[in-house]
Amino acid sequence: MILIYALLPVNNDQDALNLQLSELKGISGENLYIVSVNEIGAVASDVKAIEAISDRSCVLEYAEVIERLARQFTLLPVRFGSAMKSTDAIVQLLIRNRDEITDNIGKVSGKIEFGLKVFCDADKLSEELKEQSGRDSNVPAISGGENHRSVYREYITRKLQVHRQEELLVTYVDSVIDKIKVSLSVFDASCKFKKMTTASNIINTAILVKKEEKDELVIKIENLQTICPGLSFVLTGPWPPYSFVDFTVKHDTI
Amino acid sequence: MRDDDVFDRSRDITILELLDRVLNKGVILTGDVVISVADVDLVYLGINLMLSSVETMEQLKSGKTITGT
Repeated sequence: MILIYALLPVNNDQDALNLQLSELKGISGENLYIVSVNEIGAVASDVKAIEAISDRSCVLEYAEVIERLARQFTLLPVRFGSAMKSTDAIVQLLIRNRDEITDNIGKVSGKIEFGLKVFCDADKLSEELKEQSGRDSNVPAISGGENHRSVYREYITRKLQVHRQEELLVTYVDSVIDKIKVSLSVFDASCKFKKMTTASNIINTAILVKKEEKDELVIKIENLQTICPGLSFVLTGPWPPYSFVDFTVKHDTI
Repeated sequence: MRDDDVFDRSRDITILELLDRVLNKGVILTGDVVISVADVDLVYLGINLMLSSVETMEQLKSGKTITGT
């Protein structure tokens, strides 16, 4: 089997690419090589048995190859575990998907990805929203005194409050996303937001910015932290553009 | 909070972010071989700002603690 690490253009810097590959090793110490056609290439290494690479250290080795290459070349990372049977199959894959690969490489060229996670104190936020929900919920009073305090009414009231609380939480998360968008509007950045990953991780963002904008991005996130002291902003990166691969490669055989 | 706590948390975040990307994102070859990876940490705890690097991954592989910036 042949393991594929990344797809990249090979028209420029061919010598630099070959030099870089000769200095790196793939999983299990295998040599890295490039399979190319029509100025598009796949970085690959042989693997004796796919079962032999199914542990975390192999994932780290795999990621390290991609990251080292991404420091010098524009590339599209391939998801871990993508293997094909022969170089011919890889060539066919590159031919069939040439346009999509070229387009996607153009979108990420000269850019790096960052991850931005926003955490909150889930219990504190829940309590605040609960209070707000209790204040804002307008459950109509029913005249007639204690007789109307049925379990059904209490149940409906509780349900309304939970629903209102959920609405407030979504509104709150959206308002934080708006702040992030405003903060990043100075960049020509692409952003992908994911809400409510866990109770405390309220926002997960992937940000694609130009390499030279890295320092300014860090400052912007630090400013956001100042603006929102009740939240915790965690910035990770730079990463190769894993989250900005926007197509699925199709092929017949593996 | 002890310094050790910060180091451990930064390591957790980095490894989680890395694994999330390598295992769940990137070019998908339809029909590719699915590999399950054992011993994956699922811990979300963090310091305010941390940058990863190749050096970070080398430290992770060797089991050393890492520092956030």
